Amino acid sequence: MTLDWWTLGLQTLNVLVLLWLLSRFLFKPIAAIIAERQRAANRLLDEASAAKDEARKLRDASDQARAGANRQRAAALQAAEVDADQARRLRLQEADAEIARRHRQAQEALHAERQRLQAITEERAGRLALTIAGRLMQRLPESARVEGFIDDLVDGLASLPAETRRSLAQSDAPLRLKAPRALTETERDALQAALRRVLKTPPEPLVIVDPELIAGLELETEHAVVRNSLRADLARLQTEISLHDLEQS
Amino acid sequence: MNDSPLVTSALFHIGPVAISAAVVVTWALMAGMGVGSWALTRGLSRRPGKAQCLLELLVETLDHQIRDTMQVAPQRYRALIGTLFLFILAANWSALIPGIEPPTAHLETDVVLALIVLAASIGYGVATRGLAGYLRTFAEPSWVMVPLNLVEQLTRTFSLIVRLFGNVMSGVFVLGITLSLAGLLVPIPFMALDMLTGAIQAYIFSVLAMVFLGAAVESPPASLSPEHKES
Repeated sequence: MTLDWWTLGLQTLNVLVLLWLLSRFLFKPIAAIIAERQRAANRLLDEASAAKDEARKLRDASDQARAGANRQRAAALQAAEVDADQARRLRLQEADAEIARRHRQAQEALHAERQRLQAITEERAGRLALTIAGRLMQRLPESARVEGFIDDLVDGLASLPAETRRSLAQSDAPLRLKAPRALTETERDALQAALRRVLKTPPEPLVIVDPELIAGLELETEHAVVRNSLRADLARLQTEISLHDLEQS
Repeated sequence: MNDSPLVTSALFHIGPVAISAAVVVTWALMAGMGVGSWALTRGLSRRPGKAQCLLELLVETLDHQIRDTMQVAPQRYRALIGTLFLFILAANWSALIPGIEPPTAHLETDVVLALIVLAASIGYGVATRGLAGYLRTFAEPSWVMVPLNLVEQLTRTFSLIVRLFGNVMSGVFVLGITLSLAGLLVPIPFMALDMLTGAIQAYIFSVLAMVFLGAAVESPPASLSPEHKES
């Protein structure tokens, strides 16, 4: 067995070259990519760990914010309930006040309507009474519509204060005397005599015919009015009846 | 095939240089492995394909073997051990190609590989321990062991040569005899056995190289590199 030295030398060179080739083109690239992947994996793990820590911090912050929001919501809800309760009470009070006001207005309107209807009714009743009384008085003699009322007119004048009677007697203005018809001479004399008994020196009366009186005599001066007619009696009666109805309602 | 596997004959000459068949086959293997390595590693990415996964598996397995056997960080010795393993494996399996005689079946190639291991163990030992420190390892555990340790350096190198040469050469020899006796189908089991023997011999040679290198650079565990500690 012999050694071929050329072969030995060339194989030595060949193996060394192959060693360099594989080291350069196989082992170093593979080891580098493995190391790079390991570094990338480590970096990813570090980033994941950091992201996990950050997520944990965010979650804690979110929990705290949510707890704060819950507290604020509860406080706001409580405040809203209080406000709503106050608003409800206020609205109820306003509604009650409005109801009372409208009820009062309705009562007033009803009362006014009643009074208006009553006034209309009274006016109609008065007219009806005057019509009835006038028709009844037409069945009486014409003298009864005046003569029977002269004494009552004198009594009315006599019931006036003395100062008033004196001013009536001394007045230059004529006494306006309302009568349901024109007075006869006899009636005028009787009236003048009766006035003289009360006023001593009465002025000349100015007779004004007013059929609305139905019957009676009414005396009007600047200082006094004496109602002495069937119309005045009916009006007074009507007023008393109205007052009675109002007291009952 | 040569008449005797123990004789190396020149295939052709380049000037005064005799080029044997082993050298030519080695060149072919070098070309194939070099171009293949370049082609396989030019498109490496973080998302590996099947070929890259296979290569990474090879390198990581090699690193684990170096780490487990030598108890040191593997990157310094990866290229040497890996090249030895791949070259011996490729050379041994080249016998499957008809008409090709594996370079490892010739003594010169095995001598070169063993001498490279011897030189590497000396170089790494001196680099790691210093010249004095490396020389002191021959006197361990006592000065009496210096002759024996020196002889051991030679004998274990010689054992590397003879083991690889004997196994591969015998496989080729057996395969040649079988082919000469029965050329059809019969050599197939021997070829499979030759493949197994070739792989085992490549692994054994690499492991023994790691053992020899590990003995040369053996150091306290505290001197392990940070990469080794992390891994």
